[in-house]
Amino acid sequence: MNSRRMNFFGLFFGAGFGGILAAGTLHEYDTIHAMLRLDEFYVYGFMGSGIIVATAALWIFEKKQTTTLIGSEIKLQRSKPQTNHIKGAAVFGTGWAIAGTCPAPALVMLASGGILASIAITGIFLGIHLASKRGDLEFGDGEHHQVTSSFSN
Amino acid sequence: MDNQLIFAALLPERAPWFILGPLLGALTATFFLAMNQPLGASGAYTQTLNFLRRNGYRVIWRIWYFIGMALGGVIVTQFLQDSRGFRSGFDAFRAASPLWLVIPLIFIGSVLIGYGAKVAGGCTSGHGICGIAQRSKSSIVATCTFMSSAIIATGAIRLISGGKL
Repeated sequence: MNSRRMNFFGLFFGAGFGGILAAGTLHEYDTIHAMLRLDEFYVYGFMGSGIIVATAALWIFEKKQTTTLIGSEIKLQRSKPQTNHIKGAAVFGTGWAIAGTCPAPALVMLASGGILASIAITGIFLGIHLASKRGDLEFGDGEHHQVTSSFSN
Repeated sequence: MDNQLIFAALLPERAPWFILGPLLGALTATFFLAMNQPLGASGAYTQTLNFLRRNGYRVIWRIWYFIGMALGGVIVTQFLQDSRGFRSGFDAFRAASPLWLVIPLIFIGSVLIGYGAKVAGGCTSGHGICGIAQRSKSSIVATCTFMSSAIIATGAIRLISGGKL
């Protein structure tokens, strides 16, 4: 697959993801806060049903050894938990509770006209920058490296 | 021309979760079928940051993914919903605290979000949805950890704010 097509897929699926979040008001502080206060079931239903559908579909694709559009057989990545997963997630969860947003919803909030989201986006970039100065991160750029090699990028 | 008709919202203020959730799951799985890669938002931030400072490993389509998330948000909120225009956002937060407190707290919270997501190797989308869907133990552990720490921290915020938040 050429890189122009990959970029188009990135844009297209990003728009789908951002649009779904916006349609469910997941970009709103109020929605996230109500979920974390355990006042509302909405986000749990949203994430839970999303996870169930994605897990079932990926399980079937893996079982059938489906070929992907980039040409290689579908390859899921499973990794063992390390202390960084727990440490990072504990920090992430605390920030999530304070700011009531996370990386994708912050972006969608700004797109929806919520100008205070620009502070959140700046903060997330700064946090990623600070964390990338640590020398002990083996993962965290969102890529599955063992399949990246098959890309004609 | 009937303005009401032109500006009638196509989408409700909030569509039901049992439609959007499965749709998100299908989107995640379809993306795997196309690119053999997970869709993580914090990964898109990392790639965009690397691109902006012209350094490190860069995957260009993830920058397009970053732009796409914003684009999808614009399309839905500005054209399909009845929610056009600018506003501050964080409504419940601002109703409970003054702006001089809200702004630094959003900033501090967001730095923790970015730092934690980078150290954990993913956020709600990367670990919570894509990672669990791949049945990865590290993602299950990370998701359980951030869900519990967020619920505990929210309880603490509720206590500190005297129930206002």
